[in-house]
Amino acid sequence: MIQAVLSLAIIGGILGAILGISDMYLKVENDPRVDQVMGMLPNANCGGCGFPGCAGFASALVEGEVSKVGTCVVCSADKKTEIAEYLNSTPGPDGTTVKVTA
Amino acid sequence: MELFGLFISLALVNNVVLNRFLAVCPLLGVSKNSKNALNMGYAVTFVIFIASIITYLLYHQVLKPLKITYMDLITFILVIASLVQFVEMFLKKTSPEIYKAMGVYLPLITTNCAVLGVALDNISSKYNFVEAMVAGLAVPIGFTLVIYIFATIRERLEIADVPAAFKGAPIALITAGIMAFAMAGIAGIV
Ligand code: SF4
Repeated sequence: MIQAVLSLAIIGGILGAILGISDMYLKVENDPRVDQVMGMLPNANCGGCGFPGCAGFASALVEGEVSKVGTCVVCSADKKTEIAEYLNSTPGPDGTTVKVTA
Repeated sequence: MELFGLFISLALVNNVVLNRFLAVCPLLGVSKNSKNALNMGYAVTFVIFIASIITYLLYHQVLKPLKITYMDLITFILVIASLVQFVEMFLKKTSPEIYKAMGVYLPLITTNCAVLGVALDNISSKYNFVEAMVAGLAVPIGFTLVIYIFATIRERLEIADVPAAFKGAPIALITAGIMAFAMAGIAGIV
């Protein structure tokens, strides 16, 4: 029993370490707005917006693929305006803002 | 020669998708476009090949000496999940377009039953290390072949005049069925 637990822990640790190291080398610079928008979305990951989860929806908003926060069916009205105001007022790394409506 | 026979038998005769009906989910999901289908095939080939080597070594060098072979499933899944995570990070870095095109099907390689299937088959068929490596290459190559052919057929069906009732998924499933017939035919030749 103890062997099983220990060996699994060690294997998991090694694999985790490899992933952690490769993450350092394979890091992708993300648009910080995506994370911000993610924080404001309900994070229900229900897929109701038609994107694979809230992360997909957040990047679609930031990249201008959708221009209506209301595409998220779960989001409350307050949060929708909050997200819209945030995106309309915060420029991305290239200095432009995206126009979205609540 | 024996290894070559094993390769052909695993890649064509006992094809994972059309003969054993594993990995049908990506076959239907990522076959709308032949380029994406090939990329999916490459990703799966990488994951299965490396996973079959690592799981084989882990099983025979770690689990067996410690007499904890009942832990094989959970260990294998751990290895596979880490590999897929790695492929995901790598693709996100090197080619965001492929990463986007594959969407949710990329992390879903984790639950692609062909990956776990090969790892478990290598053990239960009592392959030696070289045979396990050949299996780890033959099975995903068979998969890539099928998904690519299937995608090219679907691309043509897209512009063909399919009866309305069969448009989209139904004709795709019928196509897959006919391809399975064809594969069964190969079994008769070899
Ligand atoms: S509809 Fe809203 S909560 Fe559901 S996945 Fe999309 S963004 Fe997330």
